[in-house]
Amino acid sequence: MEMDLLISVRNDGNVPIIDLSGEVDAYTSARFREVMVDLIESGAASLIVSMMKVEYIDSSGLGALVGGLKRSTERGGRIVIVCDNPQIRKVFEITGLEKVFPLYDVEADAVRVLAKSCK
Amino acid sequence: MSETEVGAGQEIISVPEEFALRDEVRWLKSEDRDLFSFIRESMNKIEPVYVSTYPPSECGIATFCRDVASSVAKYTPFSKPTIVAIKREHEIESYERVVRFQILKEDRQSYLNAAKFINESSLDIVSIQHEFGIYGGPDGEYLLDMLEALEKPSVATLHTVLQRPSPNQKRIVQEMGRLCDILQVMVKTGRNILLDVYDIDPAKITIIPHGVPNVHRVSAAKVKKALGIADRSIISTFGLINRGKGLEHVIQAMPKILEKHPNALYLVLGETHPGVRKHEGESYRNTLTEIISDLGIEDNVRFNNRFLSLNELVRYLCATDVYVTPYLSKDQICSGTLAYALGCGKAIVSTPYLYAEEVLADGRGLLIDFESPDSIAESVIRILDDKALKESLENNAYAYGRRAAWFNVAISYLDLFDRLLRRSGVVKEEPA
Repeated sequence: MEMDLLISVRNDGNVPIIDLSGEVDAYTSARFREVMVDLIESGAASLIVSMMKVEYIDSSGLGALVGGLKRSTERGGRIVIVCDNPQIRKVFEITGLEKVFPLYDVEADAVRVLAKSCK
Repeated sequence: MSETEVGAGQEIISVPEEFALRDEVRWLKSEDRDLFSFIRESMNKIEPVYVSTYPPSECGIATFCRDVASSVAKYTPFSKPTIVAIKREHEIESYERVVRFQILKEDRQSYLNAAKFINESSLDIVSIQHEFGIYGGPDGEYLLDMLEALEKPSVATLHTVLQRPSPNQKRIVQEMGRLCDILQVMVKTGRNILLDVYDIDPAKITIIPHGVPNVHRVSAAKVKKALGIADRSIISTFGLINRGKGLEHVIQAMPKILEKHPNALYLVLGETHPGVRKHEGESYRNTLTEIISDLGIEDNVRFNNRFLSLNELVRYLCATDVYVTPYLSKDQICSGTLAYALGCGKAIVSTPYLYAEEVLADGRGLLIDFESPDSIAESVIRILDDKALKESLENNAYAYGRRAAWFNVAISYLDLFDRLLRRSGVVKEEPA
């Protein structure tokens, strides 16, 4: 019953994919931010963040994404999000952050778009 | 009777601040102006103004307003919330800077001045916290003057929806239904009453639950230990105290509870409502103290006679085994304290007032008879004796509470504000 955030990283070609599962909130977002920063500092410019299994995201989670984006853009990269949960998508839509973080329902689409922009 | 002290428990749990989005965006301004500009252009800008009582006024609606305003603001880093605070004429309140206008409760002109202030500002949507007693005039009818003069979209959050209103109360709610774009209630029962009793247009009614703090669960045993009450079964009630709370019935239930659980401790957390204290001092609390003394249970009931901070409150709730709301009024349509107990995932026992009846359905709590110490004792003992039942109630309450966490509720408010602004043409629909 305890809700926490599970974070794992895998690679699909050149782009690391961060899988999140659980709640991205004031308790857990610092860890998420660290993972993004570590990946970018290790050389990845762009990231895919999969939120397919995210239950909730709050403004701390959005803040962590903005922090990650800052580092990513410094290296000419971007962060895209994979998510088909309407509740999570609504958070991006209602804040306008959907224009900052492109949202994809399907992971393959996100991979394809980033691969194209890397060429 | 000693007061409970908050000690090392402070280290065990605290509700973290959730300002990261605002902070991150602000930092960008000095570090990466291009990205800052891009985000500023992309993000939605909504500038709400909240009309309500506001802290430091000690009142549940004031706290609620602060929680809504700050929760919504966390998602809108490019706009600031504004508060129009209702205050009594003789009171000097040391408000935060978000309070940009004050309405003197009994000064009718003040309501028109507030409308003028809002109409002439860049504020784009008005969120009104409503309870009859917080506004001036008979049943708070001066509020209608302000609503009549407002030229911006408005949402009224109704904290009281009476099933049997007086003719004037009914007229006021119906007028609010006419003058506001939306009447917002916190439970379905409120919606049904607005439809059945007040004939409000169903398209004008929205339900958004009462928000609760974002609390991740911790072991009650750990918190109890830190609070120095490790070996006790904790029963608690919190909130501003007044006669309508029915606390005497829990106290009268204690001897029966103590027969089975001699280590039980009932914590009454919170001070007497300032409005009540002004009229009758501490006479209700003194009555409770007399009952405790007559029953000889001084070691099993403790008062903490203060307005508790959120973190203190959450600590006590986390240490609680059974949370009780023994309220006396069937009509109560909202309870912040019950909402908070759900948010902390507590096993709850409550009288069946309207709000409790709805939010504690589906295995989220046990309902008891009004004014019945026997019924309270029976339910509390049931929970303390049955670990599986306690866990099931806690899990169901917590799951409900997560959906009503302030960060989720804030999104519902933003969504509502956004829809109203689009409808009123303030926000232009983007071409498909």
